[in-house]
Amino acid sequence: MNERIEDIRVIREMMEKSTKFLSLSGLSGVIAGSAAILGAAFAHFYLLRDPSLTDYTHTQELLILLADAVAVILLSVIPAVWLSWKKAKSCGQKLLGRQAYRILYNLAVPLVAGGLFCLIYLFKGDLRTVIAGTLLFYGLALVNVSKYTYGEIHYLGLTEIVLALAAALSGRYGLLFWTLGFGVCHIVYGLAMYFKYDRKSNG
Amino acid sequence: MDNIIAGLDKIFESRIRLGIMSVLSVNESADFNTMKELMQLTDGNLASHIKALEKAGYIRSAKTFVGRKPNTTYTITRLGQKSFQAHIDALEKLLK
Repeated sequence: MNERIEDIRVIREMMEKSTKFLSLSGLSGVIAGSAAILGAAFAHFYLLRDPSLTDYTHTQELLILLADAVAVILLSVIPAVWLSWKKAKSCGQKLLGRQAYRILYNLAVPLVAGGLFCLIYLFKGDLRTVIAGTLLFYGLALVNVSKYTYGEIHYLGLTEIVLALAAALSGRYGLLFWTLGFGVCHIVYGLAMYFKYDRKSNG
Repeated sequence: MDNIIAGLDKIFESRIRLGIMSVLSVNESADFNTMKELMQLTDGNLASHIKALEKAGYIRSAKTFVGRKPNTTYTITRLGQKSFQAHIDALEKLLK
């Protein structure tokens, strides 16, 4: 009987390993979430709370916000790639297999479209649309790729979408929802995934 | 009980063959090296099991070139799909 259970385990493992990108590390989520909170805090306290404290022109302000966003993205993506590479190596897998290309392509379509959309609104000075838009497109991108990686990503995506709509509705408090979505949610999900998958496979 | 056991396909007694069929049943195709890495096998070991499955008509191979390197990709046949599904059903029944 145990032989048969082992058979089923092998079937499942091979189906999953050959279709899903499982090298994502929970710690990446924690790092990305922390970066997002720092970025949002910087934007809020340095620029948005009281614009009269600094004497930047409107365009300068937008460029600083853009630089802030780029910094957050780099601080999130670089550690994520590095941790995934390490995890893939320790599992004896290639980082850039067919699964990785599939997930990257399916992430890229909504993210590039959403990124350009938000960039347009950033330069129109419409920060509320940018805040809700980044959350919304990111949530849609996550739901889109969740079938190619851990299933939990699906619910993270749905959460981001709900927060995006809340941010759009709330107007003034948009950045708060943004911080919840990109910061707190990433940290909570990252920790949950770390304890569920990473710790087990390491130990 | 005998009937149920009869549903198990003898060719799938090897876990490596089960693994190959699992990969090919959820992917349009897979090449030799991908399967080798997924299951962490040696060339010879994987090749012998692939040959057995090909002989049974469960999988089909196609030679292509990636640049100048020859690359063999495998796909599951309709017969293979049916047999693999029947095997999984039998396993499931057995475990109920």
